[in-house]
Amino acid sequence: MATASTYAPVGFDFSNQVRNQFLQEKGLPLPKATSTGTTIVGCLFKDGIVLGADTRATEGPIVADKNCEKIHYLTDSIRCCGAGTAADTEFTTALISSNMALHELSTGRKPRVVTAMTMLKQMLFRYQGQVGAALVLGGVDATGPHLFTIAPHGSTDKLPYVTMGSGSLAAMAVFESGWKAGMTREEALSLVTDAICAGIFNDLGSGSNVDACVITAGHTDMLRNFVRPNERVAKEQRYLFRRGTTAWKKESVRDLIVSEEVRPIGGAGAEAMDTS
Amino acid sequence: MNPMNTAAQPQQRQFNPYTENGGTILAIAGVDFSVIAGDTRQSEGYNIQTRYAPKVFRLTDRAVLAVNGFAADGNMFVKKVKQRLEWYRHAHAKDMPLHAIARLIQTMLYGRRFFPYYVYNILGGIEDDGSGAVYSFDPVGSYERETCRAAGAAQSLVQPFLDNQIYFKNQQPAPGTAHPAHLPLPHVLSLVIDSFTGATERHIEVGDGLEIYVVLAKGRDLSGLEGFAGLQEVSSRSDGERIFVIRRELKKD
Amino acid sequence: MNTFVNQFSTSSALSVIKKAQAVTDDDEEFSDAAWGSEAGFGSLAKGVPSFSVPAVQDPTSFLRLHTDDHADPNCRIKIQHGTTTLAFRFQGGVIVAVDSRATAGSYIASGTVKKVIEINPYLLGTMAGGAADCQYWETYLGIQCRLHELRNRERISVAAASKYLSNLVYGYKGMGLSMGTMICGWDKTGPAVFYVDSDGSRLKGDLFSVGSGSTFAYGVLDQGYRWDLTDEEAQELGRRSIYAAGHRDAFSGNTCNLYHVKEDGWRFIGNYDITKMHYDGPGDVPGSTKVAYGYDVRVEGRTSSNPPVAAAA
Repeated sequence: MATASTYAPVGFDFSNQVRNQFLQEKGLPLPKATSTGTTIVGCLFKDGIVLGADTRATEGPIVADKNCEKIHYLTDSIRCCGAGTAADTEFTTALISSNMALHELSTGRKPRVVTAMTMLKQMLFRYQGQVGAALVLGGVDATGPHLFTIAPHGSTDKLPYVTMGSGSLAAMAVFESGWKAGMTREEALSLVTDAICAGIFNDLGSGSNVDACVITAGHTDMLRNFVRPNERVAKEQRYLFRRGTTAWKKESVRDLIVSEEVRPIGGAGAEAMDTS
Repeated sequence: MNPMNTAAQPQQRQFNPYTENGGTILAIAGVDFSVIAGDTRQSEGYNIQTRYAPKVFRLTDRAVLAVNGFAADGNMFVKKVKQRLEWYRHAHAKDMPLHAIARLIQTMLYGRRFFPYYVYNILGGIEDDGSGAVYSFDPVGSYERETCRAAGAAQSLVQPFLDNQIYFKNQQPAPGTAHPAHLPLPHVLSLVIDSFTGATERHIEVGDGLEIYVVLAKGRDLSGLEGFAGLQEVSSRSDGERIFVIRRELKKD
Repeated sequence: MNTFVNQFSTSSALSVIKKAQAVTDDDEEFSDAAWGSEAGFGSLAKGVPSFSVPAVQDPTSFLRLHTDDHADPNCRIKIQHGTTTLAFRFQGGVIVAVDSRATAGSYIASGTVKKVIEINPYLLGTMAGGAADCQYWETYLGIQCRLHELRNRERISVAAASKYLSNLVYGYKGMGLSMGTMICGWDKTGPAVFYVDSDGSRLKGDLFSVGSGSTFAYGVLDQGYRWDLTDEEAQELGRRSIYAAGHRDAFSGNTCNLYHVKEDGWRFIGNYDITKMHYDGPGDVPGSTKVAYGYDVRVEGRTSSNPPVAAAA
């Protein structure tokens, strides 16, 4: 039987698979990719799409950023929420955004949501899940409003309401009980807010504020920090340190003003240098 | 893993009775008081199991135990400590002294040296001489008397803060002065509250509620406690050491 | 069923414990003794206290899985490691010096640990390895030493006490105890130091250092050690050695605790901040030159970065 080392197939390279499995058996686990807990959602309404996201970024159990932006710009009328590895969502959406702009210039038409969806899924599939981006893609184009989820391996769903990230179950529970077809902008926005809040309060990976984005034909409203249900609590005390609190070993004061004397040499009669 | 290999190879299975339930506890000793606090969130992974699970327990009128780590082990351990203290009361017609409770906890933890309780304990209270005391333990029973100690999920966030504000680590006193050896009760309480609001901001497993137990030495007046919102007395008598609880809300995200 | 096999199986520590549990009681954790003032140590008179063991195939590997942070730094129960301890015998008795740092991985769990365990007024034990193992068994040793005094109307020798501990931990060999301790004291034979560890080693000697910082401590200790050291010189040597280890070993530091054992028992000499010793010296204490230990203070004006005036010119 051909082993992985002698058989060189066309396509994906699995030559390290045997080695990695051996190392795993030896008790050396594969490096764990940092997965960012998040709640992101999207929902269809009468005139378009509402996207929502929380604003917490974590590194393990530590909150790294209390107010980060998870709704990324693709085009004026297409936005994409990202969950998963922070760097992957950031760079994947930036790359696709750039390609969408080029596509718009080369075709001379407003790009469609399916185009962005296809570009994203093809890229993610090519990387076999190694690019850890879980996305909610939404927008309005010539064919109407569209809402997709794209999983890290490249599979997609097209649904009227979607959720992603570690808070997806909490948020989906809200959608399942509250979503109905043909909602108004206000109804949809409040439902999305409730869904994100469910994630913020019930999922430890999500927290802080609600970001929302309402996309309708011809207009996009980015509602940054739409609701702030977790304002920072005031401290009981002030922590200011007296001047001289830090110990020092030696003190030296240096004069930053350097006095300099310029003495021209060559004499007054010398010809000026030609600097042209 | 390659699905083809799973059937062919032996799969290792392990008995894993432990889990981590998050949360943080802390205790600070004063001259004639002791403060023991803990948040009330209990979590597993990214899920909140409950927003109110007490981690701080009154043992006697002068001893309070805070327990952090694996909640099931912790609750069982507190139950057994309380049982032993009850037996002691029946045998000796008095409460066990704090230093003796500390030694009892050591032997009870070490009794499970080969199947440890996965709990970090902090015992706070009043010593026989009327001084405030804090004892901290590791899961298998090594212990030490200290002035302040934080344990649990946000230990590494809170302990450096306490080192700086209570032991005045990395702080030079103003010329001609010295750092105080013990802090007054209102100052300690504000440090405790700020420790927890700070930990809640930056640690996902800390939040929901805060329970602060204050143990006052026999005969000490209530100065420093008056006017505290949500103050409740839990001592069984008013002529000995007295215990109070302060309950506060913490952020819930 | 299995009880028959257990009763006649080989006498490994595990089977002894299991047998003892099966014989003495029926799953009851506390005996009647727990009601009285024997409190924690319960029925010690009957022998070794009993321990609960998980009902799994291999309890030792179970324990290792959940506690050994060398194999798995992410395991849940972290037992404290990292230490410098030393003890040496000289003309004036025994000097015992230790640091005070406890680490769990890269985190400094405590900077105020008492690593000298006061077994009784004539015996000291040092702590390296598992903090709980040392604290518990050396306390237990103190009880046995007292019983020896009551039974024999004389103090136990350091040799006998250390052998008692050595035999005891040897009974648990392979079950995961972790101790590296020096039993120090003064008996009929004069000053004595014994090294005892959880592998079963027991060594008699003049000079020992145990722990991750021991190599650094030995460096200072070996070059300064003489039998005819004065008390003050010996104390300074102990302090200086722990300082060296605290300075160079990341897992040792914070403060140094110094003890001196003489004919009339041990005496606590003092607690010294290692950072203070670096910048200011140990202060006005016997044996000290009152000069800071830190080399940039010690060699002021004699290094390349701070050369003597003549060389700079």
